[in-house]
Amino acid sequence: MPRKKKRVKKIHKEAKWPRVTSFEERDEVLSFWEERFGIPKEAFEGYLLLSTSKNYWLFVELPDIKPLQGLKVQTVGLLFTRRVSHWLKPTSTALQRFGHLAQKNIIDLSPAELDRLRRERKIPFSAEVEEGYVILRCEGKVWGCGLYVKKSLISFLP
Amino acid sequence: MLKLSEAPAYFERYRDIIPDFERFLEHLKEPLPLYFRLNELKCPDPEIVLKGLARQGVKAELVSGLPRFYRVEPRDFPLGSTEEYYLGYIYPMTTSSALPVIALEPRPGEYILDLCAAPGSKTTQMAQASQDKAVIVANDRRLDRLTALVANLKRLGVASVATTLYRGETFPFGIPFDKVLVDAPCSGEGRYRQGYEGELLYQKEGHTNLPAIQKGLLVRAFDLVKVGGIVVYSTCTFNPEENELVVDYLLRKRQAEILLCEYPLPCHPGITEWEGKILHPGLANARRFYPHETQSVGFFVAKIKRLM
Repeated sequence: MPRKKKRVKKIHKEAKWPRVTSFEERDEVLSFWEERFGIPKEAFEGYLLLSTSKNYWLFVELPDIKPLQGLKVQTVGLLFTRRVSHWLKPTSTALQRFGHLAQKNIIDLSPAELDRLRRERKIPFSAEVEEGYVILRCEGKVWGCGLYVKKSLISFLP
Repeated sequence: MLKLSEAPAYFERYRDIIPDFERFLEHLKEPLPLYFRLNELKCPDPEIVLKGLARQGVKAELVSGLPRFYRVEPRDFPLGSTEEYYLGYIYPMTTSSALPVIALEPRPGEYILDLCAAPGSKTTQMAQASQDKAVIVANDRRLDRLTALVANLKRLGVASVATTLYRGETFPFGIPFDKVLVDAPCSGEGRYRQGYEGELLYQKEGHTNLPAIQKGLLVRAFDLVKVGGIVVYSTCTFNPEENELVVDYLLRKRQAEILLCEYPLPCHPGITEWEGKILHPGLANARRFYPHETQSVGFFVAKIKRLM
């Protein structure tokens, strides 16, 4: 009887670490968080910003990243921001972690509104915030990212 | 699965090392209390969690001596289906499982390796203890388990962890780790209780030579940590062959010493003799934890310093 071949996911031998962003790129991403949500850049002091093709990752700052770059990694740090077309979009994961520091563009939902939004993904909504990405909050808990546009609220919650 | 009626015979070999053996056997009839750890990285205000759980009929009480740990009533409450869990505010975890990280004392700026990390209770505890500012490499050899670890890192909002998928025994050299945790795969005897749904690995996989695997992992961990660095070796079993004898093997192979450590749960010194074999006297500095004394899972922890 031929032996059944065991399926094993191989690690890509040339797997590369995400690239450390330049000062300018880091400043662009952190400025977006500051301008959009009022979260100061200092909130991310002590963290490196790493980049893959369309994603930015937050990872702890270290004196020398080189020894670590010898490892074949599966994931590094926290998925922080995505580049969607020409726009930057915060991830719900990052908003859940840092959203409590936000000063603006926060939408407070009632539990019923949150339920409906999670179910229907898009609901008519009116709020005193700028159009664009918003922080969805319910009873003091940050749930993640939404998009407020043309009196509608769109959910980007996972 | 080991039946409760078989437990006295199974654990009989530990009669001389488990204190108050009869009470221990009686205690196995009680279900394991339910605990969670609060994740202040995401939830700086515990009241948000406590009020949210209270609304669902859950009473959560801070565990004395263990900051951020809460004991939950009723103990069969499905914490995993609450929004507090979904949002990463809590991590259900038994109290004795916190001991290895207490021994490790993670600090900001340190390079730390968690060699057998999945599903991530101790990795995330390390990240919290170091305010998400230590460089933590969380490794596991199994992809399915690593997937669970990655999900927990994301859920808890941890940024300081890189994950890898190596066999622990062959984890590559080249990183000057300050500390390594080996929470080794083990027979899991310390988890056993009435109604325990898992199996004792020792029975299930009779062909698996756990002590050989554990020795390989511990020696590698020791060789990975820098001179003067710390390795913490832990299991959730009572079996000396998976505990003291594994550490004894290391002490005979390498220049190491076992450090004393303060723990917030009742404990006993590691044994220095087993079935006629005299072990390294330093093993008395290791610690054993028993479920009937801790109201938790049985554990073994050794804090080891690399001397050369």
